[in-house]
Amino acid sequence: ILQVQSVLKVLVTVFCSCYHPFGDLVQIKKQLISVISLCKERGLVHSVKWASELAFALDPLPKNELPPPAIFTEEDCQDLDAFGLAKSYFDLKEYDRAAYFLRGCRSQKAYFLYMYSRYLSGEKKKDDETVDSLGPLEKGQVRNEALRELRVELSKKHSAGELDGFALYLYGVVLRKLDLLKEAVDVFVEATHALPLHWGAWLELCNLITNIEMLKALSLPDCWIKDFFMAHMYTELQMIKEALQKYQSLIEAGFSKSTYIISQIAVAYHNIRDIDQALALFNELREQDPFRIENMDTFSNLLYVRSMKPELSYLAHNLVEIDKYRVETCCVIGNYYSLRSQHEKAALYFQRALKLNPRCLGAWTLMGHEYMEMKNTSAAIQAYRHAIEVNKRDYRAWYGLGQTYEILKMPFYCLYYYRKAHQLRPNDSRMLVALGESYEKLSQQVEAKKCYWRAYSVGDVERMALLKLAKLHEQLNESDDAAQCYIIYIQDIFSCGEQLEHAEVSTALRYLGQYYFKNKHYDEASLCAQRCCDYNDAREEGKALLRQISQVRDQTETSSTDLFGPLSSNNTPVRRVSPLDLSSFTP
Amino acid sequence: MIVISTSSERRRLNKLILPLQQGPDLTLGQFLKTVGECCPQTAYAVKLRLHEMADGELKDMEYFFATLPTPFRAIDSEAYKTSVVGLFMRHMLLAYNKLSFSQVYKLYKALQQYYHSQFAQPGVSPVGIPGLAADNTDMDLTSTEDTMGERMEKDELDTTPLHESDLRNEDAPSRGPLSQKQAEYFLARQAYLLKNDENKALKPAALQDELNNMLKFNPDFAEAHYLSYLNSMRVQDIFISTHSLLHYFDRLILSGSEGKSNGDEGYGRSLRYAALNLAALHCRFGHYQQADLALQEAIRIAQESNDHVCLQHCLSWLYTLEQMKGSDSSVLTEDSVKMAAHFCLPYLASLGIQSLVQQGAVQGKTAHELMDAMKETDILHWKHSLSELIDISLAQTTSIWRMYGKSTMAQQQAQLLLNMSSLEQVNFGVHQNNTEAFAVILCHLAELHAEQGLYGAVSEILKHLKDQFPPHTQHAKLWMLCDLKIQFDRAMNDGKYHLAEPHVTAIAALNKTEGLYRKALVLKALNRTTEAYSILQRLQLYCEKTKYTEMIIRVMLATAELHWESSGFATALPLLLQALSLARQHHLQALASETILHLAFTQLMLGVPDQALGVLHEAMEPVLAHGAVMDKGRALLLAARCQVTIAGAQPDCQRHAALSLAAQTLGEAAAYFSMLDCKERLRDVHYLQARLHHTLGQTAERNKCAMLFRLLDQELPAPGAAVAMRL
Repeated sequence: ILQVQSVLKVLVTVFCSCYHPFGDLVQIKKQLISVISLCKERGLVHSVKWASELAFALDPLPKNELPPPAIFTEEDCQDLDAFGLAKSYFDLKEYDRAAYFLRGCRSQKAYFLYMYSRYLSGEKKKDDETVDSLGPLEKGQVRNEALRELRVELSKKHSAGELDGFALYLYGVVLRKLDLLKEAVDVFVEATHALPLHWGAWLELCNLITNIEMLKALSLPDCWIKDFFMAHMYTELQMIKEALQKYQSLIEAGFSKSTYIISQIAVAYHNIRDIDQALALFNELREQDPFRIENMDTFSNLLYVRSMKPELSYLAHNLVEIDKYRVETCCVIGNYYSLRSQHEKAALYFQRALKLNPRCLGAWTLMGHEYMEMKNTSAAIQAYRHAIEVNKRDYRAWYGLGQTYEILKMPFYCLYYYRKAHQLRPNDSRMLVALGESYEKLSQQVEAKKCYWRAYSVGDVERMALLKLAKLHEQLNESDDAAQCYIIYIQDIFSCGEQLEHAEVSTALRYLGQYYFKNKHYDEASLCAQRCCDYNDAREEGKALLRQISQVRDQTETSSTDLFGPLSSNNTPVRRVSPLDLSSFTP
Repeated sequence: MIVISTSSERRRLNKLILPLQQGPDLTLGQFLKTVGECCPQTAYAVKLRLHEMADGELKDMEYFFATLPTPFRAIDSEAYKTSVVGLFMRHMLLAYNKLSFSQVYKLYKALQQYYHSQFAQPGVSPVGIPGLAADNTDMDLTSTEDTMGERMEKDELDTTPLHESDLRNEDAPSRGPLSQKQAEYFLARQAYLLKNDENKALKPAALQDELNNMLKFNPDFAEAHYLSYLNSMRVQDIFISTHSLLHYFDRLILSGSEGKSNGDEGYGRSLRYAALNLAALHCRFGHYQQADLALQEAIRIAQESNDHVCLQHCLSWLYTLEQMKGSDSSVLTEDSVKMAAHFCLPYLASLGIQSLVQQGAVQGKTAHELMDAMKETDILHWKHSLSELIDISLAQTTSIWRMYGKSTMAQQQAQLLLNMSSLEQVNFGVHQNNTEAFAVILCHLAELHAEQGLYGAVSEILKHLKDQFPPHTQHAKLWMLCDLKIQFDRAMNDGKYHLAEPHVTAIAALNKTEGLYRKALVLKALNRTTEAYSILQRLQLYCEKTKYTEMIIRVMLATAELHWESSGFATALPLLLQALSLARQHHLQALASETILHLAFTQLMLGVPDQALGVLHEAMEPVLAHGAVMDKGRALLLAARCQVTIAGAQPDCQRHAALSLAAQTLGEAAAYFSMLDCKERLRDVHYLQARLHHTLGQTAERNKCAMLFRLLDQELPAPGAAVAMRL
C-alpha cells in the first residue's frame, strides 16, 4: 500500500510542480495518459472519457516521451489474477461476482474495485427494485442497502488514513448518497488533493457546491485541472461572464481543439441566451464530432427558440440513427414535436426521457411546458413540482408554475412563484416582466412600474417592458413619463435592428404624435404622424393627426397674421410642412 | 382455523376486528398483546404460525396462503366469504396472487423482518413482556432520539467507531419508512393536537424533523406539507408556511384531477380554496393588503365557477378582514348571513350572526335583540352540534354581560363554558380547550376575580392561561393584556404610580388605545395635568371616530376628574351628563353607575348634598350588586360624606342619628377598602371616622380610628391629591 501511495505522491508532485499556466502541454498530455490508464483499470468510465477527450485535443507525443506503464508493487502482483478475473466480471456488470473474487485482495487497486463493485451492485439492485416494489407505499423508500456498510468500512479506513484518491472519491459518493453533504464535500476536497487529475471527484464536488461563498471557502489543489473545474463551476452558478473568460483562457492555452470546451462554451452562451453564438458553436461541434449525443438537447432548445424546423428535424433524425434510447435523443425529439405543435407526442417523448433517467431535470420542465400547451394545467403543475424537487434552483420550473397559475387567472397566487424565479435569476427581465404583469392585473401600479423599469434596466430580452411601462403611465395619465418611455422604446427598437413580431412602434408613434400635438410641439407631432403612416394599423390616425396639425397651424397663422399682420407681413415666412411632403422626414 | 373456546372470547375478538383492520399498523408485540388480552390461545396460535413462517422457508408462507381459501366455503365459519374477515382475506389473497416472484420474496423478507424485529433483539426473550419491547420499535414515533441511539449502538458499536452525531444522522433515514397508515395516523394525531391542545403536540422543531423525514421518503404525501404549514404557523415563520401551503395545494391539485377530471369538483375547487387559504395566511400574519388581494382572487375564481359554498366562505372572510382593518362591515355580514342561510351553511350563518351580535353590542343595539339573536343561534348550534360555535357563543355572552356590567351573569356564563363537557369526541385523551373562546373567558374570569380583590385566584388563573397558551401562540396576547391591566389597576389603587408606569408601555404595545388611556391616567395621578388633558382629548376624538363607546365614556370620566382638580366642578357637569346618557344608551350599567358616582361627587362639591345623595342612591344598588370592591368602597365613602354634609345642616336632635349613620357607612367602606388593602383610601376613611366619632363624643372609637390613621399616615408619603378632592 505504502509503495502505491508513494508512487501516487510522486505523480502528484510531478503534476503540481509542472504547473505553469499550461506552459507544458507535453507534461499535461503525459499526465492525462497516465490518469487514463489508472481510471480505466478501475472502471471509472466517465472520467476516462473526459480525460481521453482532452488528451485527444492535444498533439500526439513522440515515442520516447510516452509515460512508462505504472509500476507493479508486490501486492499488485499477488492480486493480479484475481483482479483480472474480477475486472472482467465487473465489465460484464456482474458486480457481486466481482466483489466475491476480490474480497481477499490487499492492493489499493483491488480494494477500490472491490468497494466500487459493491456500491454498483447496490445501485443496480435499487434500480431493479423500484420496478417491482410491493405497492405505492414503498415508493421512494427503496434504498441502496449496501451504502451503510460501505460507509462504515470506508470511514474506518479513512480515519486510519489508508484511502487513496480513488477510494476517497468512492467514500465521498457514498456519503453524498446518504445525504451527508457536508462530510461529502470535505472528502471530495481531500480526494482532489490526493489525485487532482481524477475529473469525477471534481464533478461530484461541483454538484455539491451551491453558492459562490462556499466555493471560495474551499481550499483546492493548485493544478491546471482546477481551471476546468472553476469554469464549470461558474457556469453552474450562472456566472457566465467569468466562465466564458476561463474557457477562453483555456483555449488560448492550447486546448482549442477540445470538443469538451466548445460544448461548455456553447452551453454557457445558451444560458445567457446569446443564441447566435451558441448556435454557431454547436454547429462547429457537430462538424468535429458528428456522433456526439451529449449536450444535443441544449442545441435542440436553441433551434426550438429560433423555430428552425428543418435543422431540428435533421438533428432529431440523426440522433435517432445514432441511439434512440438516450435521454438527450428523447428530449430532442420532444422539442421537435413541440415545434410542430404535436404536444401529446412531445410529452410522450419527455416521459420516455424521464423513464430513462428520472433525475433528468430539463425533461420535467419541458414536459411541464408541453402540458401547458395542451392546457392540462394540473399535469403541468405536477411536472414542474417534480422539476423543483429534483433541483430547487430550477428557475424555469418556478417560472412555469407561475405561468400556469397565471393562465388559471390567479395573478396573486402566481406572484409567489414569479418571485421565486426572480430570486434565482435576479437579472432576467422575463421574470420581472411577468411580475409586473401580475401586479398590473392586481392594480398595484406602483409595484408594476418598478418591475417594468427594473426589467428594462437589466436588459430587456423581449423588449416588452418599456412598452408596458409606457402603457401603464398612459393609463395613469402620466403623459410625460409615458412619452419618455415611448421615445426610449422606439430608439431601442430601431437600434437593435431586428424585426420583432410584436413590436408596437405604431402605438408608440401614435401616442407620441398626440402627446406632442397636445403640448403644441407641432413639428415633432407631424414627424410622428408621418411615421405613423408607415404602419397599416395607424395610417388613418396618422393622416388625421396631420390634418389636425395643419388646421391648427393655419389657424395660428391666420390669427397671428390677424394680430401681427402689419409686423410680419412678409419677412417672417412660417415654415410649413405640406402634408404630402413626407419624403423629407423619413430618415 | 383456530378454535375459539368461549363465547366471551369470541365476542372480544370480534370487537377487535374492526379496530385492527382500520387502525394504524402495529408492531408484532403490540398486536400479540392486544390479541392476547382477548384470547391468549389465539395469540399463542398466531405467534406459532408466524414463527413457523418466519423461521422456516418461503414455502411455509406459500403454504399459508394456499390454505387460506378453505374456510370461505363453510357457511358457519368465521371467515365465510361475505363476513368482514372473509372479505379482508379475499382482498389479501387477490393482492398476493398478483405478486411476481421477486415481490413474493420481498414480502417474505418483510415478514421475517417484522417477526425478528420483535424477537431477535438481545435481552428480550421470545415470550418476554411484549408491551415493553414495543416501546423500543420504530412504530412509536414519539420515542426520543436517545433510545434510538442506544439501539443503534447495540447493533453497530462493535463494528464502528463513529461519532454520536453521525449515528443520529444515519439513524434518521433508517427509521423513516412508515407505512401509509402509520404516516396518516401520525399526521392526524399531530394535527388534532395542534388544533386542540398545542402543548401536547411535538415541539415545532421535532415535528418539522419528522415531517421532513416523511417527505423525503414519500414526496407525494401532500398532507405532510399541510401539517408543515400549520407547524410553521406556530412559530410565525411566514417563509416556510407560505411555501408549504402552496406546495400542499400544488400536490392537492394533482390528486384532485385524478379522481374527477377537470370538472367543477376536481382541481378547480382546490384552486379556489388554495387562494382562500393564502388569504387566511396573510390575514394571520397581519398583511391585510395581501390578504385582500388573495381574497379578491378567490372570490373571482369562485364566481366564475359558480361555487356558492366557496363564495360564502370568502364572504365571511371578507367581513372578518374588514373588521380587522377596523372598518364597519355590518352590511357585508348581514349579506353573508342571509346567503349562508340560503345555501344551508349553518356554521357560516351563525358565525356571521355572532359577528353581527358583536358589532351590535359595540354599537349599542338593545340588549334583548342581541340576546334573542344569541339564543336562536344557540338553538342552531345544538341542532347541528357545532361545539366550536357553542363555545364562542358562551364566551360572547360572557363578554356582553361583562360589558353591560353584570358581573354575576358574566361569571355564571364563564363557569358554564368551563364546566361544560364538549360535544366533540375526545381523541387522544385531549379535550379541546385552547380556542379563543376559552382564552377570552379565562381572561374575563381573571379580571372579575381581580375586581373582587381575590388576587390569589387571579394569579392561579393567569398561570393556567400561561400554560395553556404559551407566549408564542395566537391567543397569548389576550392574557398578556389582561395580566398587565390587572397589575396596572392594582398599582394605581395602591397609589404606587411608579409601578404602574412601566406597564403602560407594555399595554400600549398590545393595544394602542388602552395604552394611551392608561398613560393619561398615570399622568393625571402624577399631577401632570396638561399632558394628561391633551392625551385625553386626542383619545376622545379617536374613539369617537372608531365608535369605541366604552372608551369614550371612560375618557370623559377621566376628563371630568381633571376638571375637579382645577375645581371646575361646574364644567365637569355637562361632560358627566353626556357620559351618563351615552352609557345608558348603550346599556353599560357599570359605566353608568361609575358616572353617577362622579355626578354625585360633583354635586356634593357644588354644595347640593341632598341632590347628590339622591343621585347616589340610584347607583348604590347596582354598584353593591355587581360592582368591583373598589367601587363599592368608593360609593359608600361618598354616601357617608354626603350624609355628613347633610347632617351639618340639620337640627341637633337629628344630627346625632345622621352622623352615627354616616359613621356606620364609613365602617362598611373601610371594610371594603381593607379587603383590597388600599391604604390611601383607608387613611382618609379613618380620618373621617375619627372626626365623626369625635363629634359624636365617642372617645374610645375616636382614639382607635385616630391610631389607625396615625399608623397609616406614618407608613405612607404625604397625600398627593387633597383628600376632599377625590372621589
